[in-house]
Amino acid sequence: MTGVELVGVRAAHGTRDVLRHIDLTVARGELLVVLGPSGAGKSTLLRVIAGLHPVSSGTIGIAGRDVTRLSPGERDVAMVFQSYALFPHLTVADNIAFGHRVRGVRRKHARPIAAKAAEVAGCAHLLDRFPHQLSGGERQRVALARAVVREPAVFLLDEPLSNLDGELRAQTRVELRALHDRVGATTLHVTHSRSEALTLGDRIAVVRDGELEQVGTPDDIWRRPGTEFVATFVGAMNLLPADGPWRADAHRVGVRREAVSLADDGIPARVDRVEVVGEDTYVHLRVAGAHAVVARVATADRPAADSAVHVRVHDRDLHLFDYDGSRI
Amino acid sequence: MMRARALIAAAVLAAAGCGGTPPERAVSLLVFGDPHELAAYRSLEAAYERADPGTDVRLVEAGDRKDLITRLSTSIAGGKPPDLFLMNYRFYGQFAARDAIDPAGPLLASSRQLREQDFYPQAMAAFQFGGKQLCMPQNISSLVVYYNRDLFRKYRVAEPGAGWTWDDMVATATALTRDANGDVVKGVDFDQPGAAPTGPPPVEYGLAVSPELVRLAPFVWSNEGKVFDDATEPSRIALDGPALEALQNFIDLRGRHGVVPTDQEAESQDDEARFAAGTLGMLMSSRRSTTTFRAIDGFDWDVAPLPVYRTPATVLHSDAYCIPRGAPNKTGAWRFVEFALGKGGAEIMAATGRTVPSNKAVAESPSFLDPNAKPRNAKVFLDSIPTIRAAPTLSTWPEIEDVANDILENALYYNQPPAEVARRLDEQTAPLFARARP
Amino acid sequence: MSAKDRQLALMLTPYLIGLTALVLVPAVASLGMAFTEYDLIGAARWVGLANFAELATSVPFRAALVNSLVFAAIAVPLRVAAAVGLALLLHRRAPAATTASTAATLPTAVPEIAYGLLWLWLFNPLYGPVNQLLRWGGENGRTAFDTTVPSWLTSPNDARAAIVVMSLFTIGEMLVVLLAARRALPREVHELAALEGATGWTLARRVTLPMLAPVIGLLLLRDTILSFQFSFVPALVVTDGGPPPYSTTYLSLYIYRNAFEYLRYGHAAAATLVMLALTAGAVYLQWRTFHRYRSRYR
Repeated sequence: MTGVELVGVRAAHGTRDVLRHIDLTVARGELLVVLGPSGAGKSTLLRVIAGLHPVSSGTIGIAGRDVTRLSPGERDVAMVFQSYALFPHLTVADNIAFGHRVRGVRRKHARPIAAKAAEVAGCAHLLDRFPHQLSGGERQRVALARAVVREPAVFLLDEPLSNLDGELRAQTRVELRALHDRVGATTLHVTHSRSEALTLGDRIAVVRDGELEQVGTPDDIWRRPGTEFVATFVGAMNLLPADGPWRADAHRVGVRREAVSLADDGIPARVDRVEVVGEDTYVHLRVAGAHAVVARVATADRPAADSAVHVRVHDRDLHLFDYDGSRI
Repeated sequence: MMRARALIAAAVLAAAGCGGTPPERAVSLLVFGDPHELAAYRSLEAAYERADPGTDVRLVEAGDRKDLITRLSTSIAGGKPPDLFLMNYRFYGQFAARDAIDPAGPLLASSRQLREQDFYPQAMAAFQFGGKQLCMPQNISSLVVYYNRDLFRKYRVAEPGAGWTWDDMVATATALTRDANGDVVKGVDFDQPGAAPTGPPPVEYGLAVSPELVRLAPFVWSNEGKVFDDATEPSRIALDGPALEALQNFIDLRGRHGVVPTDQEAESQDDEARFAAGTLGMLMSSRRSTTTFRAIDGFDWDVAPLPVYRTPATVLHSDAYCIPRGAPNKTGAWRFVEFALGKGGAEIMAATGRTVPSNKAVAESPSFLDPNAKPRNAKVFLDSIPTIRAAPTLSTWPEIEDVANDILENALYYNQPPAEVARRLDEQTAPLFARARP
Repeated sequence: MSAKDRQLALMLTPYLIGLTALVLVPAVASLGMAFTEYDLIGAARWVGLANFAELATSVPFRAALVNSLVFAAIAVPLRVAAAVGLALLLHRRAPAATTASTAATLPTAVPEIAYGLLWLWLFNPLYGPVNQLLRWGGENGRTAFDTTVPSWLTSPNDARAAIVVMSLFTIGEMLVVLLAARRALPREVHELAALEGATGWTLARRVTLPMLAPVIGLLLLRDTILSFQFSFVPALVVTDGGPPPYSTTYLSLYIYRNAFEYLRYGHAAAATLVMLALTAGAVYLQWRTFHRYRSRYR
């Protein structure tokens, strides 16, 4: 049984196509991260599933039901917006209970339900506050609680972590995953952060220019990027011509920074620049006299600038790409 | 908003006081009137500028009487009064009592162009205040009956003439009130409680008269009754027996006879427009209406004296040129007055139809009594002069009229008992009389 | 004083000079005038509280006061409601909505006097389009429901209603403000409500209106203050304060008449003070109500 199924979905903003042809299946209970640069159509994808944006063609199924023609309210989805979209005039409890109140549940009956959801999302102590009295993290929890309380078929999270700063974001990311495991609902999580995608998702769907570039597990995406784009977007990758230092029967050869090791022998290279980032150091090299390559090494092992070194790459770490950018 | 209006008025007047002409040759004149009347003043202005080249008369045209008072008072307060203004004797009292007018008397005494005996004393008297001649009347109009001769002929009704009575007027009006089929009908006001339609509504009314104190007064006087407690120094409105009888008859025009339009109809179309449209038999009005009615070409019309109870009486309508204190160019203003009220000017104004000249010689000359100009019975205006009486000059008279006219309007349209109306008139105007300046 | 402060001061100066010369000084002057008898022509005479004592017993003043309060109590909520309703209907950026909101804003741009004269024709009890329309389908000059048509200019309550009706079409400014406020509401909030199944009236009642509440509150305040003014021209031009006695004589018209027609500036100033006090009172009451909820919207 599928959680969400998109078949041949197209969508447009005015005359501009934003989603070109999307076929995507999300299993029930799966957490799928939608990753892509801004403007790629990730948010539109969520909005199309929610029914907030019309499809030009194609069908959308949720929990085995064709919802293409249904209004947002009939699709049984809950959404958490980047801005959280809390109602400023309602208390936290009333915000969480909003959906129940709209469906005619009395306030006194809705309140315990809201309290329970708040408990799950970790904001039970905030029930009687107003949104303007909350911090960013607290608002985020309330928004989550409001989504959880619905017990929807699908959660749609639109960059829910992007308004939080570093520490809190990392912490919330963990909690988000834990929450998903507890609730177990099908979830689509949109982000432009690859670390968020790699740590959070059961699978990742990489979107580019309104098309799915690759869908796969984080491991797949990382180890076997389907295209040059995925390879470079998910993690920095050196791209070199196939007739460069590492010859192959391809158009280009990709090597991840951490796959480039400095050794006593191998291909000679010159250190252009050394960039220390905490425990890691990026070594900017000129390999075989011409090719710019970046290697990531432990800071302790970093070479001196302007020194002559040798580099090595294991064969299994070479990614070969064809003229159209696809993996060979 | 109000402040803005005052500022605009002051600015207009200030603007009128400066320009290319040297100040001693420029005269600003504040007047109001409908387009026909303003055209008359413009032709007078043009004639004066031709007669005395180099002078520059600047007409400052107010929207209506109330606007004129507003402009005058604000310009006086602003220290930039016009050189001259034209105002009805009923409304100049507030300026007279406040000593805001430079008396014309001494100027008249030393004038080589104008002499006091050239003018009708009834008009002159209306502009005397505290024993001084303050302003110079330009006209001496009275209330008369305008009538549509074609309607009279069509329904074979005798035209009104000297000596006709109130009852004659009611009978005439009744005969002229007709429905769409041309049948005599009584107009019923369906808005009144208990009123039920008795037939088709009138499309032509026999008479129209606005329910105003100065329209009622001549009939009270004609019935030898009193409007005020004292004719010369009134301190309250005190209608006596004959006055109440006249008031009852006045109210009956609507409630009992149904010969005047209902309030709705009066609001829908004003009396002058109704007359001009040919659906009104008779209209009580002053000379002012003549300029408007001369534009009528659909039917023939004329004027008749007011109907009489016991003694003939009518009420004065007169406007005068007044020079405000502090006017920048008094000499120029007076020279204009001499021209406007002398033979030349008075004839021009008479020819426009606007005025019954205050200048006796001009009034009795063909330029007023022109047999080719309507109304043919223009002499009616002159014949009624001996019977003219004036409303008192009081500083609070505009307020008194506003209050009294409101009461009379309701009296006419709601058919109220005269004693009750008289009580209200007295009660509500008494404080205004009390507040009047000596 | 920092450069920014100096620039601010410099930019505010013309406004402050104007405010002082055109509003504050005249306001203080009329405050003083309220205790005098003054006709603009002669010198002012100190009369103490006599003007107020007279106001206390004046029949027309009391009528004007009641008229103004009733007018504000009826017209202000109706105007704001109409503007809010239109804003909710017309906030979408579609060609038809833009045309409609332009049309709804236009009457506000018509000069007041012209607007008054237009309505004088529209309300003409016999020949005016309004009553012609009301008579449509009826017989004997009555409506289709066999009721009499309103006597707009001759019956006291109908005339009062006429002034209210006139005021309902000059809500352009409010509409512009509300359209902007409606468009400024975060889209996500409405989308979220849509996901929860809130549509139509539920959406308006539970989301849109509460979120617009601060703006609506402000407009209510402003309109209450203005209501003493925007009844002025209609009453002057259309009903002339009547039907008698004083059916549509509002405070503004009362003040205008006494000052500029009867030359009773002291009396008018005293009435103005009463009007100001009333306005201040109304504003205070509303402010207190709104203040309780204001902090939530920051």
